[in-house]
Amino acid sequence: MRALNAEPLIAMTDIYKTYTLAGETLNALDGISLDVYQGDFMAIVGPSGSGKSTLMNVLGCLDTPSQGQYRLDGAEVARLSDNKLANIRNTKIGFIFQSFHLLPRLSAIDNVELPLVYRGMSAKERHALAKEALQKVGLGDRMRHMPNQLSGGQQQRVAIARALAGRPPLLLADEPTGALDSKTSQDVIELLKALNEEGNTIVLITHDPKVADQAKRVVRIQDGRLSEERSAAS
Amino acid sequence: MKLTQGIKMAWLSVRSQPLRTLLTVLGILIGVASVTIMVAIGNGTSEQVKSQLQGLGTNMLTVNVVGRGAVTSIKTADVKDLTDVANVASYAPNISGNVTAKSGTNTYSATVNATTPSFLEIRDYHLAQGRPLMDIDGTFKMKVAVIGSEVATELKLSDPVGSKISLNGTPYKIVGVLASKGSTTNGSSDNVVLVPLETARVVLKTDAIRTIYVQADSEKHVGGVQTQLEAKLQQFFRGDDNSYNVFNQQDLLETITSVSTSVSTLLTYVAAISLLVGGIGVMNMMLVSVTERTREIGIRKSLGAKQRDILFQFLVEASIIGGLGGVAGVIVGAGGSKFVGQMMNSPASPSWEIMTIAVVFSMGVGVLFGFLPARRASRLHPVEALRQ
Repeated sequence: MRALNAEPLIAMTDIYKTYTLAGETLNALDGISLDVYQGDFMAIVGPSGSGKSTLMNVLGCLDTPSQGQYRLDGAEVARLSDNKLANIRNTKIGFIFQSFHLLPRLSAIDNVELPLVYRGMSAKERHALAKEALQKVGLGDRMRHMPNQLSGGQQQRVAIARALAGRPPLLLADEPTGALDSKTSQDVIELLKALNEEGNTIVLITHDPKVADQAKRVVRIQDGRLSEERSAAS
Repeated sequence: MKLTQGIKMAWLSVRSQPLRTLLTVLGILIGVASVTIMVAIGNGTSEQVKSQLQGLGTNMLTVNVVGRGAVTSIKTADVKDLTDVANVASYAPNISGNVTAKSGTNTYSATVNATTPSFLEIRDYHLAQGRPLMDIDGTFKMKVAVIGSEVATELKLSDPVGSKISLNGTPYKIVGVLASKGSTTNGSSDNVVLVPLETARVVLKTDAIRTIYVQADSEKHVGGVQTQLEAKLQQFFRGDDNSYNVFNQQDLLETITSVSTSVSTLLTYVAAISLLVGGIGVMNMMLVSVTERTREIGIRKSLGAKQRDILFQFLVEASIIGGLGGVAGVIVGAGGSKFVGQMMNSPASPSWEIMTIAVVFSMGVGVLFGFLPARRASRLHPVEALRQ
């Protein structure tokens, strides 16, 4: 499916994240190396306290590693300033959070437009892209609804539309089904699978084996170290 | 992020907490309104004082004979000599006293000024009807009077010119009526009866001149004329400078103006403190708002908002609150100054200039006091903000 010499979308090499608590140093990420290629659908699984969230924050450029290299879409991002990281998040990453993280005072379409606002796009362009994204997740008829007028599954689909709207190379989902019932969860997973089929690269963090099973590739994190569980190639 | 987008976002959050916004706006409103009112009152008061003092006469000096010492009064013959100094345009000796004016069955207590024709011009009186006093009235000791409008009204004289009034029992013929000047700091200017100086002994039982009104030919000569007058008077009263004084209206004007200016400046500072308190209210609200909306800030940051985007959003919010308070404060302040102006009977109306400054200034207060909270918001770490 991919050229053997293609550069991976995500290339992490020896990533450490060290916290100092009461004089004791703790490696939340303990030398992680990870490559994710364009078009992958990868699940990261692990129990709580395993460093899952820290890895997600570093992957999502919300936080910087203490040590190591991280190339995202061909650019080194491990040691960028806050504002440069904001720019990377804006253009390269679409976030999907466990609790949706929609802004309650904005309508569905205004929420979807938000990352495009920070990209400095014109209102017309924003509207077109946001509408397209909402239609893709099946909410073309609820664009003007406020988040509290939508069900949990619908809210998560708005959040997915928001992640998609700017057409970022990477979708990063942190427990996207954690706040949903099993039926709705399955719908959301099916949507993510469909988006992956269209070529979107998805990294999903979960503790739920049923969700992880549906990814093409699964890696496990334990005590800040990664191990391959099931590879897409196998 | 563009300005319109920033304003839209800020407006949404300002609107989402209507009561809190209202209370914070109220703080700014009170500050701006009180500053506006105080400035208007200050301006109104000094205008009022100025116009009242100018109503007394222009470029005028008043020589008062106190009546102590060896020489207690000035005779008519001395006046010409005493006022014979450079730059005197005209002068009017004056003997005044209170009399009972009577017409038919109506009586009224009026102030009689026995004086010369130049009195009218020096004291800035104008005729409404009839003729002024003339030199010939004095020469022949004519019993003629020019009465103030208040006297005419109180004595119920429908057609005063030509009719007679009695002043302490002596009949006088009314030859003219003065136009109303309104009240000055010395009380009503319209309760006067002017009679020829030479008839003073008849009505007032005295011909001792206690007052001379002297008019300088220009404002810049008032001081010089005063000095010369004082020199002549000192000689006349044989060095007893307690027997007389020369009152300069310009000095009084300056004194009163400087007092009223410093009082209104003080009041404006006090009002400015309430604007400061209003600003602290904005800061308090913005700090609470930033704390409450930590998660929103985290979400925005995760979607790519830069520090300056968040800073801008909160500053716009603070300046909207400041601006709302400013506009409302100016409206209340304009109404308030009109009301106070009417109560004080002074033209206290704030200018557009002051109002524009007030609105811009209160937006500035919003930005100034919103800066600390906004900066705190912009510096939040996205991971920690999202964890809320």
